[in-house]
Amino acid sequence: MKKVVMGNHAVSYGVRASEAKVISAYPITPQTHIVELLSELVANGEIDAKFIKVESEHSAMAACVGASAAGSRAFTATSSQGLLLMTEMLHWAVGARLPIVLTNVNRAIGPPWSIWTDQNDSLSMRDVGWIQIYCESNQETQDAIPQAFKIAEEVQLPVMLVLDAFFLSHTYEIVDLLDVEKVREFLPPYNPELKIDPADPHSFGNLASADYYMELRYMIEEAMDEARGVIKRVGKEFGEHFGRHYGMVVPYRCDDADVILVTSGTVASTTRAVIDEMRDEGIKIGALKIRILRPFPFKEVSEVLCSAKKVAVLDRNISFGNHGIFYQEVKSALYGKTDIPVSGYILGLGGRDVTPKVIREVADKAIKDKNPEPYINWIGVKK
Amino acid sequence: MSKQTKFESYREMPIRAMTVDNMLWNETGSWRNVKPVYDNKVSPCIYGCPAGENIQHYIQLVIDRKYKEAWETIIESNPMPAVTGRVCSHPCMDKCTRGDYDESVNINAIERALGDMGLDNPEWMTKSKKSKKEKVAVVGSGPAGLTSAFYLARAGYSVTLYEAEETLGGVLRWGIPEYRLPNSVLDRVIDSILSSGKIKVKTGTAVGEDIEFKELENNFDAVFIGVGLMKSRRLGIPGEDCKGVEPGLDYLRKVNSGRASGSSGKSVVIGGGNTAMDVARSALRKGSDVTVVYRRTRTEMPAIASEIEEAEKEGIKFRFLASPKEIVTDGDKLAKVIFQEMELGEPDETGRRSPVPLEGKTFTMDVDRLFTAIGEKGDLDGFKSEVDTEWELIKVKGEFGETGRKKIFAGGDIVTGAASVVEAVAAGRRAAEKILRIFNNEKDPPVRDGTDFGIENINTDYFPKSKRVLKPRIPVSEAIKGFEEIFKGFDEQMLQKEVDRCFSCGVCNYCDNCWIYCPDASIIRKDDEYEIDFDFCKGCLVCVEECPRSALSIEEEGK
Repeated sequence: MKKVVMGNHAVSYGVRASEAKVISAYPITPQTHIVELLSELVANGEIDAKFIKVESEHSAMAACVGASAAGSRAFTATSSQGLLLMTEMLHWAVGARLPIVLTNVNRAIGPPWSIWTDQNDSLSMRDVGWIQIYCESNQETQDAIPQAFKIAEEVQLPVMLVLDAFFLSHTYEIVDLLDVEKVREFLPPYNPELKIDPADPHSFGNLASADYYMELRYMIEEAMDEARGVIKRVGKEFGEHFGRHYGMVVPYRCDDADVILVTSGTVASTTRAVIDEMRDEGIKIGALKIRILRPFPFKEVSEVLCSAKKVAVLDRNISFGNHGIFYQEVKSALYGKTDIPVSGYILGLGGRDVTPKVIREVADKAIKDKNPEPYINWIGVKK
Repeated sequence: MSKQTKFESYREMPIRAMTVDNMLWNETGSWRNVKPVYDNKVSPCIYGCPAGENIQHYIQLVIDRKYKEAWETIIESNPMPAVTGRVCSHPCMDKCTRGDYDESVNINAIERALGDMGLDNPEWMTKSKKSKKEKVAVVGSGPAGLTSAFYLARAGYSVTLYEAEETLGGVLRWGIPEYRLPNSVLDRVIDSILSSGKIKVKTGTAVGEDIEFKELENNFDAVFIGVGLMKSRRLGIPGEDCKGVEPGLDYLRKVNSGRASGSSGKSVVIGGGNTAMDVARSALRKGSDVTVVYRRTRTEMPAIASEIEEAEKEGIKFRFLASPKEIVTDGDKLAKVIFQEMELGEPDETGRRSPVPLEGKTFTMDVDRLFTAIGEKGDLDGFKSEVDTEWELIKVKGEFGETGRKKIFAGGDIVTGAASVVEAVAAGRRAAEKILRIFNNEKDPPVRDGTDFGIENINTDYFPKSKRVLKPRIPVSEAIKGFEEIFKGFDEQMLQKEVDRCFSCGVCNYCDNCWIYCPDASIIRKDDEYEIDFDFCKGCLVCVEECPRSALSIEEEGK
């Protein structure tokens, strides 16, 4: 069934279709609509789940940790400061190997106080051990939920789905809503082998000496590596069930491109419009959307980019003292494979609009620069 | 402890950070250095009640709508809750912890509701089936005598109840006006008490006149004297015996038996106790303009505070710091009273400041009737030679009313001087229980310790503030027209609303808070108690902290 829904509600419908059993969340703009609708769906019986109200995001994730450890499919949503408050429990979910799914609506971190989008909140959790998927459309925010549970439950790692505040969370688009019965064929009920069972008590999250801590970390990385294949397979299976295919990266008109713009999130859609415009002018340019940040798709990224002459990475985030984070990731993917110049552009922080004009400015600059600045290119800063 | 598992390769390890082996051996109880224990205290209200009614317990039974059990709980300590629920000075409410939070629980009204239920369900009072050989004589049928007769008869002993008047009840019948305690209620209470066992009633039999005390001593295994104080003290001033001057108790007796005539004109009542209030308010109802003259100030008045307030509302006037000095007659009839003005001097042995005459300061009032209510005294003529007396009261040797003479016990006003109904009830029961112990060769129970339970022992976060539910009443304008009972009883809704305010101080009422809060699920809920699973209780004491009423205490391990 197709329906015009906001991005946040598309997430809620995705959770409904995935039959999550425990939902625990604390409200925060711009995420609140997600759990608001979920609470209504639970209250009116459309979702057979326990909705746990909590006093903080830390507790929300703690509740998900407990529920998941007991064998339930658990979901939460948050944003910005809320995600930061969860930090300790985010690490716990990974160490305990719990397949929790969290939707984070990208919101800039204060101070100065801001409710608008940039990616620094989710990217500050880059190294925690969560699989991170960056969504571009309302349809994708919905479709990503059952895929996320399937991936998470298979590799026993939590998955964070990320979408832009307002540009996606509050934008209405037509979404083909998932049918619960059909999703059940794609995503079977969760029933883990190792779970909390009062009849057979084990100690969970217990002490591990230096003899074994490293082995447990090794297994997390092994699972991350395994996830690369699982994400691709699940994206393909989803396509077979529902007609919409998802992969690690999304290349656009890259095959013969001299210059490739690397993007993520909603900026990817705008970039494609600019690519079309420039192609009409005869400029050989393409775009690569990175959908999966963790595990990083080294192979897919380098395969697409090595054929180009120049690469420009657009970052709606900044790692102070280094550069844009996607820029660093892309460079590391290309290391030793090619010596084409890679330039990085910081734009759109704190919700500043990234219009086609802004992207065109980046593209023109990238084409014009003989040897791109090794330094940060700030776009649109009032100097 | 189980053996430590060794892994050769990470492939042998579970992916989750968890033990491979079952952890049942590691009971968290081994971490504990302190432990919670269920430890019921005695609620302060119970200490406050002279009769020691188990107030906390019967209130909790009312909450469970176990009204018969609640009534039976009162009856264990007091056979006349319908009386005390009306006229008690309720010191329990002064001790109620809730009084330090918002308003004390209206225990008096709850007691009345249960007392009235007992009267409406006479089958609740079962007749004792036991039959013991010993016989007891009880002299006087006021609250002390009726109470002692009840507990003796209930235990299966034969009681003979001697009463000088033609009807039973003593001060309850002659001393308390019907607007506070209707005779119809008293009749039902007495019927209920008489139905509890073998009680032979001898009315119109004054001991010392109609039967010699010696005869009782010879014919019975024990004698309880609870004759009360039936004589008014005299003023001791010139003109006291003229027409128009009347002892307050005599007047109340007339009013209560319907023999008092209406009176217009100006009446003055001398005194500040409950008798003075009863006389003044009765005279007002009979048509008089009434002034109470008291030699101290309002603060020192011994009457129950609410009785003074009611008297004021009804239009009784008060003149403090004055004492009658001389009565001026017109022929043989009262005409004027000259009063001496007083001031307060040093505190006396009761802690109250003594009135001292102000030299040369007097005033005169025109008075049609003068009632004296400056105290009552006993009539000890019948047994003065049998027991020790002091200040026209019987002197007892022990806390159970032992007179020092074998078999003879005493209690109530004749021992204490004018006191409250509940104190007489308490004295009657204490003496009866002592007599029972003597008959059965039992030891006296240990004396109860005091309590330091207070509002600091209540987790007040659990109790929203609320107003006390008051007994319904007829308006003052209606009340002063006659002798209709002023205060009415609670209906069930009011009763339930008021009992819900009880903190249940120090006594577990199965609120489940400990069970809900225990983070180790170590509290096990049984039908009528909780058990702590000390295999897993790690002594965090969250249960103790979250108990709203300090029904749990802390014990150190190994001590």
